[in-house]
Amino acid sequence: MNTSNNRVLVIGGGMAGIRTALDLAEAEKNVILVDRAYSIGGLMTQLDRTFPTNNCDLCTLAPNLSEGSRQEHIELVTMTTVTDVKGTKGDFTVQLETAPRFINLDKCTACGECHKKFPEWVRFTPGLDHRAPTCMRYPQATPQAFSIDMAKCTDVKALMESCPAGAINPDDFGSRREVKCASIVFVPGGALFDPSHLDYLGYAAQADVVTSLEYERILSASGPTMGRLIRPSNGQQPKKVAWIQCVGSRGLQKGAGQYCSSACCMFALKEAIVTKERFGDDIETTIFYMDMRTMGKDYERYFLRARDEFGVRFVRSRPHSVLRPAGVDNLVVTYGTDSGPVNVTEEFDIVVLSTGFRVADDVRVLAGKLGLDLNSGGFPTTDGFNPVVTSVPGVYVAGVIEAPKDIPETMVQASAAAIMAAGDLAPAEKVEKTEADQELLPPEFGVVGEEPRVGVFICDCGENIGGVIDAGALADYAGTLPHVAVSRLQGHGCSRESMRQIQQIIVDEKINRVVIGGCSPRTHEAKFQEVIRKAGLNRYLLEIANIRDQVTWVHANRAEGATEKAKDLVRMAVGSVVRSQPLADHSLPMNKDVLVVGGGVAGMTAALQLADHGHKVYLAERSAALGGQAAKIHRTLEGDEVAPLVRDLVARTEAHANIQVITRALIVDHSGLPGMFKTGMQTGRQMFYRQIEHGVTILATGALPNRPAQYLLDECSQVSTQLELQALIAENPETVRTWDNVVMIQCVGSRTADNPNCSRICCQTAVKNALRILEVNPEARIFVLYRDMRTYGFQEEYYQKARQAGVIFARYSAEAPPQVKAVGNMVEVTFNDPVLGREITVNADRLCLSTGLVADEDGNDELAMIFKIPRTADGYFLEDHVKLRPVDLPVPGFFVAGTAHGPKLIRESVAQALAASSRALTMLARDTIDLGARAARVDRDRCAACLVCVRACPFGIPYINADGYSEIDPAKCHGCGVCASVCPAKAIQLMQFEDDRIMAKLEELFERSIA
Amino acid sequence: MITAERKPLEELIEYIRPYRRILLVGCNECVTVCAAGGRKEVGLLASGLQMALLKAGASIEVREHTLERQCDPEYVEELVPMLDGVDAVMSMACGCGVQEVARRFKNKPVYPALNTKFMGASERQGVWAERCMGCGNCLLGETGGICPIARCAKQLMNGPCGGSTNGHCEIGDDVDCAWALIWERLKELGQQDRYVEIAPAKDWRAGKGAGPRKIIREDLAE
Amino acid sequence: MDNFEPVIVAFCCHYCAYTAADMAGSQRLSYPPNVKVIRVPCSGKVDAMHVVKAFEKGADGVYVAGCLEGDCHFKNGNTKAARMVAYVRRYMDEIGIEPDRLEMVTMSAGMGYRFAQVATEITEKIRRMGPSPIHAAIETGKAA
Repeated sequence: MNTSNNRVLVIGGGMAGIRTALDLAEAEKNVILVDRAYSIGGLMTQLDRTFPTNNCDLCTLAPNLSEGSRQEHIELVTMTTVTDVKGTKGDFTVQLETAPRFINLDKCTACGECHKKFPEWVRFTPGLDHRAPTCMRYPQATPQAFSIDMAKCTDVKALMESCPAGAINPDDFGSRREVKCASIVFVPGGALFDPSHLDYLGYAAQADVVTSLEYERILSASGPTMGRLIRPSNGQQPKKVAWIQCVGSRGLQKGAGQYCSSACCMFALKEAIVTKERFGDDIETTIFYMDMRTMGKDYERYFLRARDEFGVRFVRSRPHSVLRPAGVDNLVVTYGTDSGPVNVTEEFDIVVLSTGFRVADDVRVLAGKLGLDLNSGGFPTTDGFNPVVTSVPGVYVAGVIEAPKDIPETMVQASAAAIMAAGDLAPAEKVEKTEADQELLPPEFGVVGEEPRVGVFICDCGENIGGVIDAGALADYAGTLPHVAVSRLQGHGCSRESMRQIQQIIVDEKINRVVIGGCSPRTHEAKFQEVIRKAGLNRYLLEIANIRDQVTWVHANRAEGATEKAKDLVRMAVGSVVRSQPLADHSLPMNKDVLVVGGGVAGMTAALQLADHGHKVYLAERSAALGGQAAKIHRTLEGDEVAPLVRDLVARTEAHANIQVITRALIVDHSGLPGMFKTGMQTGRQMFYRQIEHGVTILATGALPNRPAQYLLDECSQVSTQLELQALIAENPETVRTWDNVVMIQCVGSRTADNPNCSRICCQTAVKNALRILEVNPEARIFVLYRDMRTYGFQEEYYQKARQAGVIFARYSAEAPPQVKAVGNMVEVTFNDPVLGREITVNADRLCLSTGLVADEDGNDELAMIFKIPRTADGYFLEDHVKLRPVDLPVPGFFVAGTAHGPKLIRESVAQALAASSRALTMLARDTIDLGARAARVDRDRCAACLVCVRACPFGIPYINADGYSEIDPAKCHGCGVCASVCPAKAIQLMQFEDDRIMAKLEELFERSIA
Repeated sequence: MITAERKPLEELIEYIRPYRRILLVGCNECVTVCAAGGRKEVGLLASGLQMALLKAGASIEVREHTLERQCDPEYVEELVPMLDGVDAVMSMACGCGVQEVARRFKNKPVYPALNTKFMGASERQGVWAERCMGCGNCLLGETGGICPIARCAKQLMNGPCGGSTNGHCEIGDDVDCAWALIWERLKELGQQDRYVEIAPAKDWRAGKGAGPRKIIREDLAE
Repeated sequence: MDNFEPVIVAFCCHYCAYTAADMAGSQRLSYPPNVKVIRVPCSGKVDAMHVVKAFEKGADGVYVAGCLEGDCHFKNGNTKAARMVAYVRRYMDEIGIEPDRLEMVTMSAGMGYRFAQVATEITEKIRRMGPSPIHAAIETGKAA
């Protein structure tokens, strides 16, 4: 571990901190990750499922990162707080204080014996959800979730004796240390609003009033109720559940933030959908809301699904109270509606409060120590065009601490913060890593053609295995199996000493295949692969018999059955490993150049970042000049001028020695593999063809302003788009001063049948332009006709400001849109005012339409075909994982930034561009492209070119090559094995899961059973 | 491509019941592509036969082999060393393959495991549809590339019969009326006039009407 | 066949069902040892051949366990597996093995309790059904 100050300190081990640390480590930067909790994971690990996929997603988070690289670059410091920060960018000195864990992590095997014997004294909180630790593929690096509560422990000696590994250390007094770092990423996450003091919502008094996170736990398979949805008060299944939105957000309750918490609408929708999915017609779900804020990518469709497919009921109202009158079993919710002045009462079984985010008090204190300027909500203020840049140079933020947000945006900012922080590091001396590695790893023995000599190592894992079955007898039994040369009991096989012994035995006994009888291959395969590789064996000559997680832990009360099953599993593993063959990890040299497609703000930002990190960047722009759509925008909602930003980006891009700008570039062909692509384009007026070789590609092709032929647009000169309006305000304020009435209509061409999604930016644009008009012409009367005001995050404050300034916001429904008529040089707008409950007609001097953005259908379609990138139904590029990998595209080596991904603000585009370059950097840091070994292999002599694999592959990888047989590129194969399964000629084998190995397992299993 | 389907297991068991040892022969051509008689199906059938017989208290040894193409004598020759001690051969090829194996091994009973169905095309993964009946005198040029002989239940040559409703054949809603398809296609091509032309009665002698057919290429034939 | 203990093979996908099986372990949820798991990367990797061979070797029951619908790590391997299972069940009927000895089940990685529950239910079901006819025939053949 590098102890110099040339590293990044990441404060906070939630999803953002993990993402930042992983990005930095993969880009070969050193990180120290500090978290207050005793295991990392943060808030997300408590979620049952995440929107909009409703998947359990943690398994997709962990990237294909070798343990080595992680250990080499990340120092994880848990149970630790930052007590002081001094210094400036490039040279910070930070004081850390670590609380005692009383467990020596080097010795702890996470067997859980201590927790089993003394549950009162040992804390085990794997994020409440067991998925969290198990889905992390490298559990040894995310400290096992045990710690001792010494204050409760009454018999230290007994506790120490309970640990088979001798890992309990009562003399741990915690520690203090000073660390130095060049930059800091501050990602403490958000706390949730505590509604206890709002007595009219009944949270403190009523067991059946829960927060949305508590409801999530009730739904969760591994939550306190094991996934059974029950009423906390009486344990019965509820019939009616209500959600109340904006609890602690939008400034309505005591102690609430002025801002919108951004994520709660989707959160409530998800909970309602999951509830309906489980119980269908047996349960009623109702959401009480102010505005449904589903402005994220494809979120509107999710909302529509909830309403139309799942029958979730939506009531636009803020309930007055949640009470439980004496003698009534249910909660009584009193609320008003548009339809009359009288309050309605309705009974519910469970009421869920959608509590918003806030900044925890101790986080605020820490932010003070970092010297950060804070806004009224206690959130650090950030740069108008770069949300991860704070008021202190060298200190970056990401995630909820920047502003309330959901997971994908958090992941984007985390990656963005990573590359910004990396930019503050001094260039590291290039370590000749490859040679060092070769010294460590002996050459592999040749095993092909050799008689198999299997070494079987049986762990007893303390009492975990040894306490249920006779592990020694199992080892003896394994010794009698064919081909087994050595079989021995290995205690804790994963301890350092055992691994050393195993290595030695492999060498001494000329072992050429290894079986470990121990815990799950999911958690320990990589570790033992490493062990046998160090002993000179190919890492794939290994099988693990899972005799702990799937035998002794689950059959503890049936010793005999467990023993027999353990024998079966070991015999199956031996039968299979005998047939294993050494496999090559596919790898290729990495091309370190970058192609960025699109020369708008996102494209230029990404190009500059990667060029600054020393990579040659080709920036291909379709039009004749750089700048993109942002060049048309004057100021942001917050008042920052956009032109200087664009000018500066263009100037720096054009001047950068590492960037080659190619304008009038039309991409025409593409080939190659991730890490070594070739892309052809026609360029310049003459359309000359040129080909560029590059390792990664960033798509930043933007989106187009929508211009639907509605509401007299392009028919009447008094009707314009918001984009035209803001130009007019800036360039021709005289005209604006003559206006008496201005009407704005929201959602024009968005949230419609043709274009179901929300354009995200229009609500804040309308608020911005309304405020600008009032600056120029304070007498103007402005009407904003909206469906839901989606001023998320801190935009909400401007919305409130506009209302205070007299802008009239009137809601209309999609079924009854406003009517417009050109009358002379005025536009007559008629709409229904829900507050007055009658129709109103306004003679407007100006009608302004919020038309939003649409995907560049033609351009994206072409690129999607050439690059084989999937798109969403509305034409935007579809990321690999909407939740956790929002800028990685499904084709490895491709990343998306800016509005090509979906509508977004300039600062959001910048964050995404930074994130895309950060993700790209993780690939570019490698010298070779490591592709693993689990790939499908075609036997060309057997292949009948039937196309079954071509059609069955979920990723479209196989194709019939020029020689007339199926070819599967191991670099692109995802390794699912579907093709191998369906091939009618049995011409395809999936490496590591070959048919003969599966058959061998079956043979061996029934050898005894039927004998 | 020739398409085929496996016969019911019961029928196959009746064939092989008398034997102790059989050779099950697949073909890596059409029947592999239509998932009826490739290596995988050979394996599945071998297992199924053995289990069915074992269950009935009998037992049989099934040797498995899949040829590159069962309708060529050179490939069939590969079976010679495998036939030692084999009581019978079961072929998982189309009728051509079965006959080729039977011709080569005159002293071994040869049984078909498949019902050969038709010459067809793959509509999508797992779905094959009849397209050609080998009439020997192709008229697809006149009918917009859609064959009324293979795809009209009545093999009508001059437009649909009265049973054509909304583009469907009267034999079932899942069957397209070939003539409706032809008309749509001719319209797309702007060749509606072809539809008006009366096709003369078809000379079936180019097809099965003249008995078993043979093709001889003088330049290749030895 | 007194005290009949069925042998049941569970083909489990790495990402969901196998993880759920491990989860059952970390939660110490008990289920009968009759179930032996064979790990595959995706339930779509399970070949009809593997299932048929398992019965040929003498399995009393087989199930394929994949991710919940829509959750497949490889997009749709689980739905492919479900179709394969339906196909093999029809074939089993032809052979004369009760199709109910083969099942497709789905679960998420977090559903340790469901893994244990499925393993228990299927074991109990197969126990009630008795040995598979093939298993029985193999035993009889051995005895003879």
